[in-house]
Amino acid sequence: METTTTPRRLPRNLILLITLGILVLVASSMMPAGFFSWLWDRLNVFATVFLGIFVEAVPFLLLGTFASGLVEVFLDRDQMSRWVSNRPAAAAVSGAFMGMIFPVCECGVVPLTRRLFKKGLPLSAGISFLLAAPVLNPIVIFSTASAFGWGEMLFWRFAISLGIAVVTGLIFSVENDAGSILRPVLSAHEHDHDHAAPGASFLEKTRKALLITVDEFFDMGRYLILGSMLSAGLQTFIPQSALLAIGSGPILSVLVMLLLAILLSICSTVDSFVALGFVNTFSFGSILSFLVFGPMVDIKSVMMYVQVFKRRAVFYIVAIPFMMSLLTGLIFNYLIR
Amino acid sequence: MSSRMIRSFQGLLLLGLSIFFASKAASGQLTWYINARFVPLTIFGMVFLAVLAQAVFTEIRRARQHEQEHDPEHDHHHEHDHAPASGSLWVMLIPLAIGILIPARPLDSSAFSTKGFSTSAPLVSSDSSARIFETESEERNILDWLKLFNFEENVTQFNGQSASVIGFVYFDEALETDQFYVSRFVVSCCAADGFAIAMPVLWGEALTLEQDSWVLVKGSIETVILNESRVPMIVAESVQSVPAPDQPYLFP
Repeated sequence: METTTTPRRLPRNLILLITLGILVLVASSMMPAGFFSWLWDRLNVFATVFLGIFVEAVPFLLLGTFASGLVEVFLDRDQMSRWVSNRPAAAAVSGAFMGMIFPVCECGVVPLTRRLFKKGLPLSAGISFLLAAPVLNPIVIFSTASAFGWGEMLFWRFAISLGIAVVTGLIFSVENDAGSILRPVLSAHEHDHDHAAPGASFLEKTRKALLITVDEFFDMGRYLILGSMLSAGLQTFIPQSALLAIGSGPILSVLVMLLLAILLSICSTVDSFVALGFVNTFSFGSILSFLVFGPMVDIKSVMMYVQVFKRRAVFYIVAIPFMMSLLTGLIFNYLIR
Repeated sequence: MSSRMIRSFQGLLLLGLSIFFASKAASGQLTWYINARFVPLTIFGMVFLAVLAQAVFTEIRRARQHEQEHDPEHDHHHEHDHAPASGSLWVMLIPLAIGILIPARPLDSSAFSTKGFSTSAPLVSSDSSARIFETESEERNILDWLKLFNFEENVTQFNGQSASVIGFVYFDEALETDQFYVSRFVVSCCAADGFAIAMPVLWGEALTLEQDSWVLVKGSIETVILNESRVPMIVAESVQSVPAPDQPYLFP
């Protein structure tokens, strides 16, 4: 098939390319002076913002994929079933607190969750880990406290993140096993039977773990890159002020902050400092919903979810936290303050 | 692509990324992208990428030895099982290409149109206004001044205090012709969350300045009303052009 379509497609692509080139030339000659310096400026902002997100996220992604490699090599299914309960509710709660042991942010948590599922982690535990770990971990507790102090914002952020994660985990427990929500993995280190060979030396196991880290880094990295590009592109061309101008009412303000959380795609370890910048313009409820929802769902994490989970599962992973964060914001805006 | 080619490509990309991080670190440009607080993390990433590259190259060498020792037919099958998807590799070239082809430039006034700028800044709970009070008024940067004005009730107490701040020049239509903004970007995490803060400056020769040029402004503080809020303005005695600082952003 491929050999017959290639000769036909090549000239067509060429024609398309030439047409596009001519169009660009014609269009650029009609552009007002200053257009190119404007475009160049935009391109510079784009490059700086994109590289900012990328440089910031790479170490976290490396840590997450390395944790995944270590889990693959050093943890076997028996140990997993001994540690984590099979009752959905208990599993969901313990999954939510696993972030205290694996301090990962939203980039690293995705490959690690997939690996833990492979090792037999119950569905409810895995989903609540996926959603809660980027917030319920020592690093984020500390950074939230240093931005907002040891007060209400910190307490509610963690309580509500925990609640949403556990509820979503429980909803997922109606499915029987992780296989029904996970996409099949093409890269074949999964079939490799000698990974957990009992006789392998520690050095040998570490070497295997590093190679798994490499494969997963590339696997997840491309979605990180595509997500960062999308986020940087939107930030370069859509004025933030336009977004902020829409929402000041109790409902719209929450929606705007949720949108902003998706758009900015910043790491959960530092998002509280960013949220602090909105304290004067936005209500407590809308900032809280930003802090709860951002670590669970943003452009780059959704990109990674799509790679790991089936479409329907991604829909629920995004939709349930969205609805619950929205509800949280509204409750706080209307009832509490 | 054969399994070995994919592995080699992986190794080269990892090495390339590691070198890219190293060159940014060596040139001091990392803080054009991220908060200085995270630089050690990037250094860790750089080292870890090199370790991973090394692991990949060792694996290639082992596979080759393995191939020489065993039946090639069997090995082909074995390798096929191991082949990672090659499609994911090309995407990794994007950050390298962007980093190399587009000359590095920190955020400047051209980002104002989408990011906007502010003349007020919130106090982070871990820093107390006392700390900013204790510092000599000339030591305060733009962020310190704006935090003080945001936090304090009685801001007129600062009138007449001497100020000395560094920032880049931004002309705004809302200002008079003898005024300009001296501004900085504040970055908590990375350039994505950067937001600009600015203090208005009153200076007779404002028009001689260039947009985005870095200046050291010395003068005294006066409280003015701007967009219905009280803002510190510097009545400049001197505006001196200075080279861009090594760390273009302020970190809260």
